[in-house]
Amino acid sequence: MREKKVIKIFLWVILAAFLLGYPKFFGMYYVNLFVTFMVFAVFSLSFNMLLGFTGLLSFGHAIFFGISGYGTALALRHIEGISLFSAIGIGVMGAVILAIILCPVVVRVTGTAFAMVHLAFGQLMYVLALKLRNITGGEDGIGNFPIPDFSLFGLVSLPLKNNPLNFYYFALFILGISTWLMWFFTKTPFGQIQIGIRDNAKRIDYLGFKVPQSKAVIYVASALFAGVAGSVYGLFHNLVSADGSLNVLVSFTAITATLIGGIGSFFGPIWGTAIFQILEEITIRFTEQVELVTGVVMILVIMYAPRGFAGFLALLKMRWQMLQAKRGQ
Amino acid sequence: MYVSQAIHGLAYGMILFLIASGLNIIFGMMGVLNLAHASFFMLSGYFCYQVLTMTGNFWLSLLLAPIGTAFFGIIVERVFLRRMHAFGHLGELMLTVGISLVILAGVKFFWGTESLPIPVPESLQGLVRVFGLEYPLYRLFVIGLSLLVLILMILVLYKTRLGMIVRAAVSDRDMVNALGINIPLVFMTVFGIGCWLAGVAGVAIAPILTVFPGLADQVGMDAFVVVVTGGLGSLSGAFIVALIMGLLSSFGIQFVSQLAPVLMVGFMALVLIIRPHGLFGVEE
Repeated sequence: MREKKVIKIFLWVILAAFLLGYPKFFGMYYVNLFVTFMVFAVFSLSFNMLLGFTGLLSFGHAIFFGISGYGTALALRHIEGISLFSAIGIGVMGAVILAIILCPVVVRVTGTAFAMVHLAFGQLMYVLALKLRNITGGEDGIGNFPIPDFSLFGLVSLPLKNNPLNFYYFALFILGISTWLMWFFTKTPFGQIQIGIRDNAKRIDYLGFKVPQSKAVIYVASALFAGVAGSVYGLFHNLVSADGSLNVLVSFTAITATLIGGIGSFFGPIWGTAIFQILEEITIRFTEQVELVTGVVMILVIMYAPRGFAGFLALLKMRWQMLQAKRGQ
Repeated sequence: MYVSQAIHGLAYGMILFLIASGLNIIFGMMGVLNLAHASFFMLSGYFCYQVLTMTGNFWLSLLLAPIGTAFFGIIVERVFLRRMHAFGHLGELMLTVGISLVILAGVKFFWGTESLPIPVPESLQGLVRVFGLEYPLYRLFVIGLSLLVLILMILVLYKTRLGMIVRAAVSDRDMVNALGINIPLVFMTVFGIGCWLAGVAGVAIAPILTVFPGLADQVGMDAFVVVVTGGLGSLSGAFIVALIMGLLSSFGIQFVSQLAPVLMVGFMALVLIIRPHGLFGVEE
C-alpha cells in the first residue's frame, strides 16, 4: 500500500512540475491554448457536478459563465482601484445570486424540462446582453477594461495585462484551486448525497434528506465554479461578449466535453475538454467544417462509447488488474 | 394596423404550432425531445429551394420537400435513434444535438452560407382586402394551410386505426407492444409524420424569411419555447401557446421592438415559475 502512495505522490510531483514548466517548453500560442483549456475544463467540471453527479442536464450553463464574466468586467471598468480578487468575487457573486434566484423554479423540474428551461433562460440572458446596450455594450461586449496586478497577500505581484505568461500562472492558481475544491466537494458526505439523488431520489427522500434543498445547494455551488471559469475567461481575453460567453454554444461545449470525457467520472470532463480542444485544433487546420466533426464525434461517442474516455480508461484498468491477478496465481 | 399585426402574429403562430406539434407527438410517443427537429424544418426549406430551382413549381416543392424531410427523418430514426432507445434519454437527446450539427454542416456544404430567396408563387402574390385592409395573400394562405394540416392531423389521430394505436402507445407503450403491435414500426411512422409536419412548416415559411443556415436556431428556439411553455407532449397546450407567442412576437415588434425576443422568453419564465411543467403539462 505504501508503495502505491509513493507512486501517487511521485505522479503528482511530475504533474505539478509539468504544469509549472509548461510555458518553458512550449510557445506562447500553446500557452494561450492551455489557458483556454483550463477555463473550459473547470467550466465542464462545474457542469458535470450537475449532470454527472446529480443527473440534471442543463442546456444553459453558460448563463453563469457569462454573467460572472460581465460582472467582473463591469466591476473593473466602473470601480476605481478595485483589486483583482474583489472583481472576480463580484462576478462570481453575480452567478451565485442568479442561481439562488433560479433555483426555486429549477429544483422542481427534472429531465427534459430542466434542460429546456435552461435553454430558454440562456436565450433570455443572451438576448438581454445584446439588447441592454448601455450596460453590456451590445454586440461589441465590454472590452479593454483595466486588469489589476495579481497579488497574493503581498508575497507575489504579477502584472497580468498583456502578459500571457503571468496570466498562465494566475489561471493555473485560480483554476487549480477550483478543481481541488470541486473534487473535495464530491468526497464530502454531502457530495455523496448528490450521487444518491441521481440514482434514486425517492430513497434519499425516505432516508430523511431534503432532496429539493440539496439540489439547490449543488446548483448554487455549480454556478459558483462556472462563475470562476467565466470570470477568468473574461480576464484572459480582456473582453466579455454575448457571443463569447453567453451563447448556447458555450453551454454545448461543456456538454460535449463531459460526454466525450465520460459522464459521472470526476476527471472525465478534463479529458473531454482536452480531447475536444485537440480535435478542434486539428480540424481547423484542415477544414472549415468544425460542426461536422463535432457532430460526428458526438454521434460516434454516444453510440459506441456511452461512458466516454474515462469509461475507456476504467476498462483498460480493469483489464490490467485482471492480467495482474492471472499472473499472480 | 392592429388587424394586420394580428394576422402576422397568427401566421407565425400557426407555423410555430406546426413545428411544435411535430415535436410534441414525437415526445409524447418516444419520450425524447428531438432537438434536431428545427434542423429538419430548415432542411425542408432547402429542399424546397432545390425543387424550386429544378422545376420552378412551388406546389410541387410544397408536396415533395416535406416528404423528402420525412424520409430523411425516418432514416435518422431507423439508423441512430432506435439503437439508442435502451440507453436512456440523455443519450437520445445528445444524439439529436449531434444530428442537428451534422445537418447544419451539410446544409452549409451543399447550399452555402448566404440566404437563398424563395419567391412567393404567382397565384399567391398580391393583396386581398380583409376588414377594409390590404393584406398579403400569402400569409393568409399560410394560416389556411396550417389549419388544413391541423384538421388532417386530428382526423388521423382520432379517426384512423394508426391514430388509435398512437394514442394507445402514448399512454402505455409496453402494453401496446405486448398486444402484438409492431411498436418500432409505429415509432418510425410517428417520427416520419413529425418530420413531415416540420417540413410543411419549413416550406411555408421559406418565402417569408428566406432560407439560411441560421433558420433552425431562429425559429427553432421559438418552437422549443412554445413546447416547454405549453407543456411537453401536450398538443392543445402547444396550439394555444403557439398562437399567444405568435401574437406576442408580432405586437412586440410593433410596440417594443428592442425587447420583442425577450417578451416570449419572459412569458415562458412567468408560466414556468407558476407551473414548472408548462401550462398543460403533467408531472413525469
